[in-house]
Amino acid sequence: MIDKVSIRRLATGVPGLDAVLGGGLPEYSFNLITGPPGAGKTTLAFQLMFAMATREKPALFFTVLGEPPLKMLRYQQQFSFFDLARVNDTIRFVNLSDEVATGKLERVLARIAEEVEAFSPALVFVDSLRSVKLDGPPVDGAISLQQFIQELGMLLSSWQATTFLIGEYLSESNPHPVFTVADGLLALDQAVHRNSMVRKIQVLKMRGQATSPGMHTFRITNAGLEVFPAAVVRGDTPAPRAPAPVPSERRLTMGVPRLDEMLGGGLPAGYSLLVAGPSGSGKTILATAFLSEGARLGEPGVLVAFEQTPSLSRNRTIDDLVQAGKLGVINTRSLDLSIDEIVQQLLTMIRKMKATRVVIDSLSGFELAVAPTFREDFRESLFRMVTALTALGVTVLMTSELEDRYTDLRFSPYGSAFLTDAIIVQRYIEVASCLKRVMAVVKVRASDHSSEIRQFEIDDSGLVIGDVVLDYDGLLGGRPTRNARDVAAGGGLAR
Amino acid sequence: MPAEKDRLREAIQRTLEVHTADPRDARAVAGATLGTWQQVSERLTPVIGERGVDALFTRALHLASATFPWLADGDGPASAATFKARLEAHEARAAAAASQAVLLAFTNLLATLIGNPLSERLLASVWAPNPSPEPEP
Repeated sequence: MIDKVSIRRLATGVPGLDAVLGGGLPEYSFNLITGPPGAGKTTLAFQLMFAMATREKPALFFTVLGEPPLKMLRYQQQFSFFDLARVNDTIRFVNLSDEVATGKLERVLARIAEEVEAFSPALVFVDSLRSVKLDGPPVDGAISLQQFIQELGMLLSSWQATTFLIGEYLSESNPHPVFTVADGLLALDQAVHRNSMVRKIQVLKMRGQATSPGMHTFRITNAGLEVFPAAVVRGDTPAPRAPAPVPSERRLTMGVPRLDEMLGGGLPAGYSLLVAGPSGSGKTILATAFLSEGARLGEPGVLVAFEQTPSLSRNRTIDDLVQAGKLGVINTRSLDLSIDEIVQQLLTMIRKMKATRVVIDSLSGFELAVAPTFREDFRESLFRMVTALTALGVTVLMTSELEDRYTDLRFSPYGSAFLTDAIIVQRYIEVASCLKRVMAVVKVRASDHSSEIRQFEIDDSGLVIGDVVLDYDGLLGGRPTRNARDVAAGGGLAR
Repeated sequence: MPAEKDRLREAIQRTLEVHTADPRDARAVAGATLGTWQQVSERLTPVIGERGVDALFTRALHLASATFPWLADGDGPASAATFKARLEAHEARAAAAASQAVLLAFTNLLATLIGNPLSERLLASVWAPNPSPEPEP
């Protein structure tokens, strides 16, 4: 048996990036970081450097321009990963502006070789390639940029250094020769759409390993970059199929008397439930009851709230649960989120809380919170989120604002009804010039459930579900008429 | 911050004194200054580049010339050689004071740009070590 070479993968120290890369950066690889100005290339390089450099594996950072290193040091220090104690110790800076000024790439290469030999770095960064190119017009008989890159790649790999070149624009029509030489290609981008800006990272190439395809969003905070790997749904792998969990024996109680009975004995564990209804119909109260019931039974929960003004009564219940450590809350009002960022936060919170019940209140607020550039794909993103959540085995309750229309029967504005395993719909009906609430269980996948339309009311204790509305027809049309039998018998709807 | 500045001022003064063979000789002062300056430049050039160092030096010379106008005498770009020549042309005590002023202005300028801790870190090996305080008699 022949042992294949095994490539060690270096942890990048950038949250989420290892997952996108398919398990870290291959050791001794030659990588290129590209992106327009302001995309975060240098920040990424610095963060990688401070995370990966150790005494045994020191880093060399070659800067190519004359003045900017001062500014680079000035601004990069603002990030929390910048550790002063390591400068000139495990991390060394070398400025190449003199060599670049000669216009001869051989000189630049020779200087890099000299420094690498002297310092034996395990990590080498060159910032930036664009200036190498611009400042060095080809001189007759001199090596070309492509040769330069190739030789640099050879040199650094044979010196056992993992290398990062920081480049500029990536033009698809005219791929730069360096792209063929590079083992890894990280493209950073910032997409501005309407009033929001979203940063994205893409691994265009990473030799020898399966990376996570597509654009992944990231944020730059004081701690540097944080990548939110897109929750990928693979149809071609034998992984658990999308939101179709095995019907569980276990059922969760909803915390609303008689609702469990309507659901056929409670909500099957691991299901996703959509509660759709018009404004004020009691969706949030139902969701809160679901979480309180979980807390009562020792099943921690996570609430993702997108409401601009959370209702007071819920606040009190929710606050108590949070105080008791039985509930984690993600409340966000920013308007430039990516779904993946929420999913990431949510998954972290679920693991931290060991939560089994998750409430997303509401999808309408969620849609508003998501950056405009993602709204077009909102349905797809919802699908990815539900898949990621059900894969964890948690039970999800989502609320959805539903404009009351009495001419058609709809459950959600996103066509998301098919994504969920169970649906409860709430509506208003008019009876004797009063608004009354009714609710029905529309669907519970692979389970028996009640098909009755029940009247319900909201009082201080929460939802109070009444009896089946037997004596009226056309409830879903919003204007029920008392059916003939009951008129004769004198029955009526509770007033 | 003032404590750090005082410490730096003392370090610069001490370093120049250590390297000056004869404090009454302006040429000795100029020689010590240039030697110290070259060390500073050597430590910084790899990090911020020669052009970066030159730019800071020019600015430091300009700042110090507010107190010592003769530092800005003559034409041409500021260079270590002309700086040395100007020091030599003056009386030893004035030269020593001007030399300290330029180095102090330079290090302060660096600190405002990249922060005190990092600039101290980069230049620590230039300064003569602080002798342990003499026990009081």
